[in-house]
Amino acid sequence: MNTTVEVLGFAREPAWLPWAVQYFFLIGISTGAFFLSLPGLVWRHPDWRGVSRRALLAALVCGLTAPVALLADLHQPGRFLNFYLHPNLGSWMALGSFFIPLYLFGLIGYAWLCLRPQLADKAKQPSPIAGLYRRLAYGGHDNPSAIRAAAIAATLGAVLVLLYSGMEMMVVQARSLWNTAMLPLIFAITALTGGIGMTALFEALTGSRQSAALLNQWLARGVWATLVLLAAWLVLGLSGMSPATAEALAAMGSSFGWLATGVWLLGSTLFTLWMAVNYRNSLLMPALLALHGAWLIRWIVFIGGQSLPKMGSTSRSYYLILTPDSLLGIVGMAGLCLTLYIILTSLVPWDDKSSACGDPT
Amino acid sequence: MNVQPDLSRRAFFTALPAVTAGLAITAHAADEATPHWSMLIDTRRCIACQACTIACAMENVSPEGQFRTVVATYAVTDQAGKTGLAVLPRLCNHCDEPPCIPVCPVGATFKRKDGIVLVDGDRCVGCGYCVQACPYDARFVNHHTGKADKCTFCSHRVEAGLLPACVETCVGGARIFGDINDPQSDISRRLAAAEGKTRVLKPEAGTKPRVFYIGLEQQLDGRVDGASTADMMWRADNQGA
Repeated sequence: MNTTVEVLGFAREPAWLPWAVQYFFLIGISTGAFFLSLPGLVWRHPDWRGVSRRALLAALVCGLTAPVALLADLHQPGRFLNFYLHPNLGSWMALGSFFIPLYLFGLIGYAWLCLRPQLADKAKQPSPIAGLYRRLAYGGHDNPSAIRAAAIAATLGAVLVLLYSGMEMMVVQARSLWNTAMLPLIFAITALTGGIGMTALFEALTGSRQSAALLNQWLARGVWATLVLLAAWLVLGLSGMSPATAEALAAMGSSFGWLATGVWLLGSTLFTLWMAVNYRNSLLMPALLALHGAWLIRWIVFIGGQSLPKMGSTSRSYYLILTPDSLLGIVGMAGLCLTLYIILTSLVPWDDKSSACGDPT
Repeated sequence: MNVQPDLSRRAFFTALPAVTAGLAITAHAADEATPHWSMLIDTRRCIACQACTIACAMENVSPEGQFRTVVATYAVTDQAGKTGLAVLPRLCNHCDEPPCIPVCPVGATFKRKDGIVLVDGDRCVGCGYCVQACPYDARFVNHHTGKADKCTFCSHRVEAGLLPACVETCVGGARIFGDINDPQSDISRRLAAAEGKTRVLKPEAGTKPRVFYIGLEQQLDGRVDGASTADMMWRADNQGA
């Protein structure tokens, strides 16, 4: 076997920047949180009543922020129009451009229907914007049938968003780390755990700990599923059953960076599981760990996956720098989430004391 | 002063059907003889001077640090311990089954009848999906335009009857460009002469590349297991540029 040294190599910089990581992270969290809102707000399960309301808030905050990151990644936001003027429906990305509005409009409609009684209550209180509340409440009726219909539409949208966002990457044969059937499943499961994390974070911010055990129970299940999927990915690669995964493992080779990344991913995932199991009444730490895990998976897959060489031996590492499409973009997205959180919590109460659909009082 | 304007007009209209028929026949004949442009790279003739890299960058005004074609260079040591130079000129392979086309969400990437794969800059949204899908790392998002960019076989030059800039400038004559539909073309004759000795990059990808190589070692036709000195070499992003 000949040995080679690449004297002069060329590797492209990543084409999908941290904007893409932020988008997939936020839209995933939004769908995960939306699913958590269903037991309390649609099926009106008493144990889920309060936490489902915070889950809806998390779904709205992340869902409304996510498309901004996607638009920013197009370099000129107005270009999004071409997705609808010239759609190539054989492309998962083109399909996604239709699934995203389906999900978001479904989510907004569902949230509005759920919040109508609360908006009507706010309209009765003396306020400079009482008239606005009255118009938004549109009678303020709690209509379970309409909520169910909107939830079905949003569920369809959420499932399609999870499907397209996983398939979009899975079909790229040129990226060995992406070209695995495990990827859509891992993204879907970590979207759910991320959604649990964001919901738990909002729960902690409201000062309520009643649902901590419930959230940690589901978080532990999600982390177990993540570990099983990661193990399956590794077995497929090591056994050679998945040539693409084997190629990805070979490309990572003896890289200390990849070894450290793997140890960090495994260690933090196990720590999340340990926290969720052993500190069932804790909210903040498991929440932050769950969010960290969902983000880390996407960062490794997107940025790490693009660093593996397609040709030659040269890899192109990505470094976070203080530019709008790098670190400032990530901070900007977090800032937008915070802004939306402040606006939504200022306009509508989300704590257990407020009345809303799903509340039997 | 023209005193018989009607005569010339009548003559024009009289001749019009014949002209139209003539043009139609010519167009039909031209359609049948549509070329299929391809490139053959004889790596034995390449000295890795990067003249092609620079000629391409100047012809196509590539942004600094972004190249449509490059020549990767390797030091290969055999089992006997003998070390030699190996080169791999790289560019868009203008595949017959291009994986960049089906993924494009807006249909901006297309393959012309003459085999050249191009990007419609007016339609491209710069999403970079085609960059991901290309197995040859041939595409990039242009820093100036924010849109997908790649080798076009210098289609603007080819349409003017010229050779691509990289072919024109190659000092060793390592790059041969031509019409593989024409059995008398230089590329067709060379491909026929080298039958069984030509290779394409990543044949297992099933993309049917239209860039062929003579003298390419199998070990170099895709990702290469080996060390890289790239971090010690010039790069736009580590020179403070």
